[in-house]
Amino acid sequence: MDTRPYMQDRAAEDFFALLERGEFKSTRCRYCCVTHYPPRVLCPLCLDEDLEWVDLPREGTLVAFTQQEAAIRCRKPDVLGLVELEGIGNVFTRIDAPFEELHIGQKVVFDTWTSHDGVALHHFRPLA
Amino acid sequence: MAGVYIAGVAMTDIGRHELDAHELGARVCAEALRDAGLIPSRVEGLISTPHGYMADTRKMITQRMADYLGIACGLMLDIDSGGNSSSTAVHIAYDRIERGRIKSCLVFAAQREATPKKIRSDIAGHFHLIKSANSLYDSYQAAFGVISPLPFYAMAIQRYMHLHGIVPEDIARVAVLLREHALRHPRAAYKEPLTVEEVLASNIVSPPIHRLESSEMHDGAAALVLVTEELARDNKRAVRVAAMAEAHDATSFIPYRGEIARFPCVGRAAHGALEGSGYSISDVDVAEVYGAFAGLEPMMYEEIGFFAPGEAPAAIREGRTSHGGEVLLNPSGGRLSLGHPAYVTPLLEFTEVVRQLRGEAGERQRPGASVGLVHTEQGFINGSVLAVLDRPDGRTSEKR
Repeated sequence: MDTRPYMQDRAAEDFFALLERGEFKSTRCRYCCVTHYPPRVLCPLCLDEDLEWVDLPREGTLVAFTQQEAAIRCRKPDVLGLVELEGIGNVFTRIDAPFEELHIGQKVVFDTWTSHDGVALHHFRPLA
Repeated sequence: MAGVYIAGVAMTDIGRHELDAHELGARVCAEALRDAGLIPSRVEGLISTPHGYMADTRKMITQRMADYLGIACGLMLDIDSGGNSSSTAVHIAYDRIERGRIKSCLVFAAQREATPKKIRSDIAGHFHLIKSANSLYDSYQAAFGVISPLPFYAMAIQRYMHLHGIVPEDIARVAVLLREHALRHPRAAYKEPLTVEEVLASNIVSPPIHRLESSEMHDGAAALVLVTEELARDNKRAVRVAAMAEAHDATSFIPYRGEIARFPCVGRAAHGALEGSGYSISDVDVAEVYGAFAGLEPMMYEEIGFFAPGEAPAAIREGRTSHGGEVLLNPSGGRLSLGHPAYVTPLLEFTEVVRQLRGEAGERQRPGASVGLVHTEQGFINGSVLAVLDRPDGRTSEKR
């Protein structure tokens, strides 16, 4: 069974390839100077294709979190959540902490994470 | 502008069906046409939706029905926009009839799902369906293995409860109330009463969502016949579509920006439909609301404008959304207890509101109901279609 994640465009291929190297980046429009999340192959504001890859902030705020019973990966007891990166947007991610120890508004920090089926992804864990 | 009327409605039992979706669809189309007093050769438009999410894809369903029922028409369309599919179909039919392009349109949906049980017992055999469920989401959501919008809804409900201090009992009570409504519906999927204790004791499928607060995927079919004012003239049971509107946000499932516990498209569509109809929200007697989770119901009631943000749970607790309350919401039992064949659901909602406005809703009847509202959504409420229906002029109830 092929469980590799679906890649919707070149930007997704690049984003996940960068994650494999420990890099957490997204695209920024050189014209608008706006950083997109998720990354794009063109700027949705001006349609320009002149984009550069820039580092995303590694610290964020936990907006919400949950678990899933049926899934291809990241089933319970794994926790999934939404992390707000200030000024950029919400990142849907795995959360590296027991569900019971989390609360909305908590500060969390990025790390790379490899799933059991070998896919390079990311998770955030509460700041110590 | 010409008025548009719903002249015929029909629905099957909701639950599990053995018949092929094609036959389910044909039977329900025939029943809606009989209800409208129209024969197939008078039908000028035909629109339908896919047979399910976890069903093997079948294309060009509508064309096959045109052949089967002998419908030569001026509009034929297969629509797939998730939960809004069949309400978008109604919206298009409404537009074409209002503009005078066609005089009548038959909209139908029939759903037969590969049940989760079947999938769980043979994962390898059904893996293409699981992959296809996963590919509904963009790369940044799909990569975390998501195969249903459950975790997204769970996070929105968690935030809603957090922001407004809503307790689990308030959410469980919504499921109990919808079950009470469904017990008055002979075609509902669920026939047993429910208690708050039972809901809270059921498994947590995606925290904070309990299994009994989550709608199951069901089979079923429904059909609607829309006609011009002229064709509805002698039909005392026809219900007027006073206005329709839709609005969509620039999001696909979980939004990357903004508050995830708010759904702006719903308010925009509700405003558009109410303004177009000339009614205000307080004129609405009865509404069917598309909430696939108990926690979502109060959120949708608020987004539509029935209650201020955070106030719907108290209104539900006080019985203000049930029989004898200020507005009757989801008298059918809603998605949670009528049952939820998602592609069919909007047509089930229209069917319920039409029957309420005709005064044919039996034990579920809101006495004197004369203005009704239908709300549907797609994805993670990324888009919404709203309709306001009323009794035709001169036949309004004793109420107004």
